[in-house]
Amino acid sequence: MSDDTKALEDLKRALRRLPGIGAKSAQRMAFHLLGRDRGAARDIAQALLRAVDRIGHCQRCNNFSETEVCAICRSTRRDSGLLCVVESPADLVSLEQSGAFGGTYFVLMGHLSPLDGIGPEELGLPKLEALLEGGVVREVILATNATVEGEATAHYIGELARRRNLLATRIACGVPIGGELEYIDRGTLARAFSGRREA
Amino acid sequence: MHTDGERGFILHRYPYRETSLLLEAFTHGCGRVGLVARGVRRPGKTFAGAHLHPFQPLLLSWSGRGELGTLNRVEAPEMAIGLKGDAMWCAFYVNELVLRLLHRHEAHADLYDAYDDVLRKLSQDGSQEQALRIFEKRLLAGLGYGLALTRDARSGEPLYAHQTYRYLPDEGPVAADAKSPGLVVAGATLIALACEALLDAKQLREAKSLLRMALKPLLGDKPLYTRSLFRSMQAQA
Repeated sequence: MSDDTKALEDLKRALRRLPGIGAKSAQRMAFHLLGRDRGAARDIAQALLRAVDRIGHCQRCNNFSETEVCAICRSTRRDSGLLCVVESPADLVSLEQSGAFGGTYFVLMGHLSPLDGIGPEELGLPKLEALLEGGVVREVILATNATVEGEATAHYIGELARRRNLLATRIACGVPIGGELEYIDRGTLARAFSGRREA
Repeated sequence: MHTDGERGFILHRYPYRETSLLLEAFTHGCGRVGLVARGVRRPGKTFAGAHLHPFQPLLLSWSGRGELGTLNRVEAPEMAIGLKGDAMWCAFYVNELVLRLLHRHEAHADLYDAYDDVLRKLSQDGSQEQALRIFEKRLLAGLGYGLALTRDARSGEPLYAHQTYRYLPDEGPVAADAKSPGLVVAGATLIALACEALLDAKQLREAKSLLRMALKPLLGDKPLYTRSLFRSMQAQA
């Protein structure tokens, strides 16, 4: 690599660290930013720096937050007795957009994954336990993914809640709205049946 | 090269690129294989990868030679094996053992059957420890490191249930006095393990130590994640 292209190579290498970006995409992005939109390049650089410097984790719910305690946790209009446990900030955003939930959250930033060496400690569960000990939460709603690891995580956290005499509930799993039974896979259908309720 | 409708399970899955999955699968006819499932994590294709989870019996079709195959089709002939609570952790342990001890592309039809069997046993109400010990025993045998469970390694006599033995890693059970080296195991435990009979609490403890000793050299220095996780969870409980 000659000296006159070092900065370009560094930029491409940096862009490749983004998820889903390979060598070709990184090169396309780099050429676009340098050739056509230097203003955007500067904006992106500044936004990145600002975000990295300012955004930390909410002390209560572990979600990304610029303040020590995030807006949802600070809100007096939300029921802090209901705690919804989700795997990622993206899950929280989806739930917020659905408008279905008026309680507070805890964001795990992942799930238990024994084969990747991610256990309760790595997942920051001691922080969740401290929250459960606080005496405010009365119901823990387990909204982890319906994957094997998500179920394992829900089961583990459910146990933590039950040991503290708190109600632990799991979000329902079954037929999607507009779904036709004929096309639904067996596993989902079986779950929908076992989780049926009085009409 | 095409492989069509091969019975298999997913042992572990990793996100791969933006929309794909990298799967570690254990199949009946081809042993452990690495497969790429393209595009199954795309939004709106939620159900494309719905079956690609551990503990779900599958029929896998893939193509390609070399380290990684490309998954072409997947069918779920039956429901996922329902594992709850501790049973699921035990099943993760089984997956970790298979991932660590089996090499890719080595067919182990007998071990596949043992794997299928242990998952089904774990999903039932019976003893999880019993199911794990039998699997570990079969795993060692399938890998060519089977335990010696029929005869005294030195005298060649059959094992007696009432006799206490010392199990020597490289030899097998030896009837010996208290001062001999090796792991103390009752003859009854060895005999029960050999015929896969139901083990009582004491025999389960002995069998656990014995199998752990036998697995240790194969696993090397790197500890098993699931084992240390299970230990820390039990410490909390």
